[in-house]
Amino acid sequence: MTEPMDFARFETLVAAYGATPNRWPEEERAAAEAFARTDPRAAGLLSQADAIDALLFAHRVAEPSRTLRAMVLESAPKRRRIITRVRLWWGALALALTAAGGVLAGSAAAAALDPVTANVQLYPHDDVPSPDVPEENAL
Amino acid sequence: MSLDDPDGELVRRVGEGDALAVEALVARKLPRMTALAHRLLGDRAEAEDVVQELFLRVWKSAGAWRPGAARFDTWMHRVAYNLCTDRIRKRREVALPETWDAPDPQPLADAAISAEQQSDAVGLALAALAPRQREAIVLTYYQELPNRDAAALMGIGVDALESLLARGRRALKARLEEGDD
Repeated sequence: MTEPMDFARFETLVAAYGATPNRWPEEERAAAEAFARTDPRAAGLLSQADAIDALLFAHRVAEPSRTLRAMVLESAPKRRRIITRVRLWWGALALALTAAGGVLAGSAAAAALDPVTANVQLYPHDDVPSPDVPEENAL
Repeated sequence: MSLDDPDGELVRRVGEGDALAVEALVARKLPRMTALAHRLLGDRAEAEDVVQELFLRVWKSAGAWRPGAARFDTWMHRVAYNLCTDRIRKRREVALPETWDAPDPQPLADAAISAEQQSDAVGLALAALAPRQREAIVLTYYQELPNRDAAALMGIGVDALESLLARGRRALKARLEEGDD
């Protein structure tokens, strides 16, 4: 049950929040509206307050500029770019691994088909004297 | 969780780096926050600086945002309000001439006065109010914060807020009537 409102409180409320009931504190709105309907002194207060409300709401501020909007959006973190970078990095790595795998596979295939070349590749320095053997003895 | 906060879900998506959510949050909050800063500071360029700083903090905080006692909109108001009052404080530290005063607003009585002129006159009258009165009016009337939120933001009780509002409204009216003379 809402407490009935007295004149003093109604006067304070209208002086602070103006003539529009929507602005009155929710918990007091019903009582204030009832007071406004029933007390003949209310109309004068509301009329004065309404004139000040009209002044206040004559004030307009410019909409934010496109430049400001663009700068604000630009300042936001860009998750998708980060994800794209990560994807690119992984893509490059995968490509490198594939290429390396291809080289190894190619070498193995060549070895299977050509044992001579394979030996050269497996022991590429067979024609070089062993380091265990002194050079003069080798000659 | 986000049921109580109309911005909760959007902020969660912003925190995950969702570009569409970023655009939606900017569309939703940029005009509101720019208007707040513009009215508190009375200067568009300064207001834009504040708004950029505010959104940097939003991007930084969105990922860690957990709905709690305050709504995200209230949190944004708090950050913007603090940024504005810091700037106002710094302005005061830069000594103004003793005789400094805001320019007189233009009269409003002329029926032919344009909406733009009327808006300018009220803007000047707002700028001439005592800062705390202006803050109370901007938060309550233009930002439409509930009285408890506006009072909490200003670090005062609801009674004190009501007193500032009433004095601010009277001063505004008197200033605009002075302009009529």
